[in-house]
Amino acid sequence: MRGFGAFLGKELREIVRTWRIWVLPGIVLLLALSGPILAKLTPDLIKSMSDSGGLGGAVINLPDPTWRDAYAQWTKNISQIVIWALVIILGGMVSAERRSGTAILVLTKPVSRPAFILAKFASNAVFLTVTTVVGAVATWGVTYAVFAEAPIRVLAGATGVWLVFALFVTAVMTLVSALIDSQSGAAGLGFGMLVLLSIATLWGPAVKYSPAGLMSAPNAVLLGTEVSLAWPLATGALAIVLLVGGAVLAFGRKEL
Amino acid sequence: MAVPAIELTGLAKHYGSFHALDGIDLSVPEGSVFGFLGPNGAGKTTTLRILTGLAQATSGSAKVFGTDVASAGNEVRARIGFLPDVPGFYDWMTAEEFMRFTGSLFGITGTTLDERVKALLELAGLSDVKARIGGYSRGMKQRLGVAQALINAPSLLMLDEPTSALDPIGRKEVLDMIASLAGRTTVFFSTHILSDVERVCDTVAILDRGRVVAQAPIDDLKSRYGAQKIVLEVTSAADALAKRFSAESWTSAVERENHSVILTVNDIDAARLAIPAAVVAEGAGLVRMEGGEVSLEEVFVELVGGER
Repeated sequence: MRGFGAFLGKELREIVRTWRIWVLPGIVLLLALSGPILAKLTPDLIKSMSDSGGLGGAVINLPDPTWRDAYAQWTKNISQIVIWALVIILGGMVSAERRSGTAILVLTKPVSRPAFILAKFASNAVFLTVTTVVGAVATWGVTYAVFAEAPIRVLAGATGVWLVFALFVTAVMTLVSALIDSQSGAAGLGFGMLVLLSIATLWGPAVKYSPAGLMSAPNAVLLGTEVSLAWPLATGALAIVLLVGGAVLAFGRKEL
Repeated sequence: MAVPAIELTGLAKHYGSFHALDGIDLSVPEGSVFGFLGPNGAGKTTTLRILTGLAQATSGSAKVFGTDVASAGNEVRARIGFLPDVPGFYDWMTAEEFMRFTGSLFGITGTTLDERVKALLELAGLSDVKARIGGYSRGMKQRLGVAQALINAPSLLMLDEPTSALDPIGRKEVLDMIASLAGRTTVFFSTHILSDVERVCDTVAILDRGRVVAQAPIDDLKSRYGAQKIVLEVTSAADALAKRFSAESWTSAVERENHSVILTVNDIDAARLAIPAAVVAEGAGLVRMEGGEVSLEEVFVELVGGER
C-alpha cells in the first residue's frame, strides 16, 4: 500500500486548509452549543405562548427540563441534520478528484488505488471522530453549565453508537463516490440509502440484527431502554469493511 | 541492444465498435526526445493513459523499459514522470507544497527533496511565487506540471499535449523547459502542433486513426515521405518554364515566386534530367538550382491529410 501515508497526510492538510474545516465542525458545534440552551428555554417559550393566547387558549404544562432533555436535543440533531450533511459533503469525496484531474497526477505516481481509497476513508473517519468528540464535549460542558448535572457515561454511550452509524454512512459514501462521477448523484443515492434504512427500522429483525438498528440506538441509550446493540454494532462494523472493500474494488477497475 | 524506453506491440483499445487504437507498434529509443504526432482524436492520449496505467488495453502489450505496464504497477510508475493534457492541481497548495507532496509520493525525503524542489522550481521559473496554485495562469500551471513530473528524476518523461492550450509566450517557456532536458532523460511528447515537434524532437511517430503511419528520425522522415522540392532561379522566362513544368508527369506542384520556380516533384531522377534541358530550350539564364526544404507539416499532410 505504497503512498498511503503521504496521501493521508495530504487529505488531513486539505481538511484543515479548505472549507471543509468550517462546515461539518461548524454544524456540529452549533448544534452542540445550542441544544442544552434550547432544552432549557423550550418550556418557558411554550408557557409564554400559552399565557398570551397563542395556542388557542390551550394550557400546556411541561415538566422542568433536565440534562436528559439537553442530551436528547444532541442525539436528535446529530442523527438527522449531521447525517444528512455528511451525505452531501461526502458525495464527491472520490469523484471530485477524478473530475478535477488531481487523481490522475497522484495515481500516475507510485500510489496504489487501494491506498488512495483507504486514505480517503481514513481521513474522513478521523475528521468525523474528532469533530464528534469535540461536539460531545461542548454539549456536555453547556449542559453542565445550564443544568448543573451532566452524566458523562450516558452521553459517551449515545454518541459512540451514533459515531459507528456515521462511520457506516461514510463508508457508504466512499463506495458511492467511487462508483458515480456526479457529486449530486452520489448524494442522491446516499439519501436513498438513508430512506431505505429508515423504512427498515419498522421491521423488528432489521433493527435487531442490521446497521439499521444503529439509527434509533442513540436515543435508546439515552433513555436507558433495554436494547442489545451487539448485533447492530457487529454488522455495522462488518458493513463498513465490506463497503470500503467494495470501493477499493470498484475504483481499481475504473478507467481514469 | 538497448531496451527501448517504450515498446508497443499490437496495442489496441476498443470502446464498443470504435477503435481508439488499432494495433499500434512503436519503439521509443532510450535517450530520445520523441514526438508523438497526430491530429485530434488520433489516439495519442489513449496511448499515454495505457502507458501510465490509467486505462487497460483491449489487446497487445505496452512495455516501459522492458516491463509490461499492465502487470507492473508501481515498479513502472516509479521510473516515469507524467504530465496530462489538462493537469489538475490542489488549488489550496503553493507550488513548493505541491512539489513536496509529489516528492513524498515517491518516498523522497530530506535534503534530496529540498534540493530537487529548489532546482525544479527554478527551472519552472516559480521560485519566487508564493501564491496558491488556484491563482496561477495556464502557463504557470503547465510549467509546474512539467516540474512535478521531474521530481523523481524520471528515466522517462511523458507529456501529453503540453503546449496546446498556451499562448505563444507560455508555449515558448514550456518548450524551452523540454528542450533543456535533451540528453538527460527520454522524453515522449504527444502533440498536434508540428512546429513544436520540429523544434524539440529528434525522432517522431505519426499516428492517424489509431494506427502508426510513420516512425523515424525527423530528417529521415522528411526525405523518405516528403515530396522532393527543387528551387529554380532564372534571369528570364520563369513563366514559360512554369507552364512547361506544369505539363510534366514528374511534377505534382509548381509555384512562381519573383524570378524563381518552386517545383514539387515525384520523380527526382526524371526532374534532374528534364530541368536543364527545359532551361536551355526556353533560353532562360540559370542563376541557381537547388533542393528545397521540406517541412514536417508537408510530410504530415501527405501521410494523414489526404483523406480529410
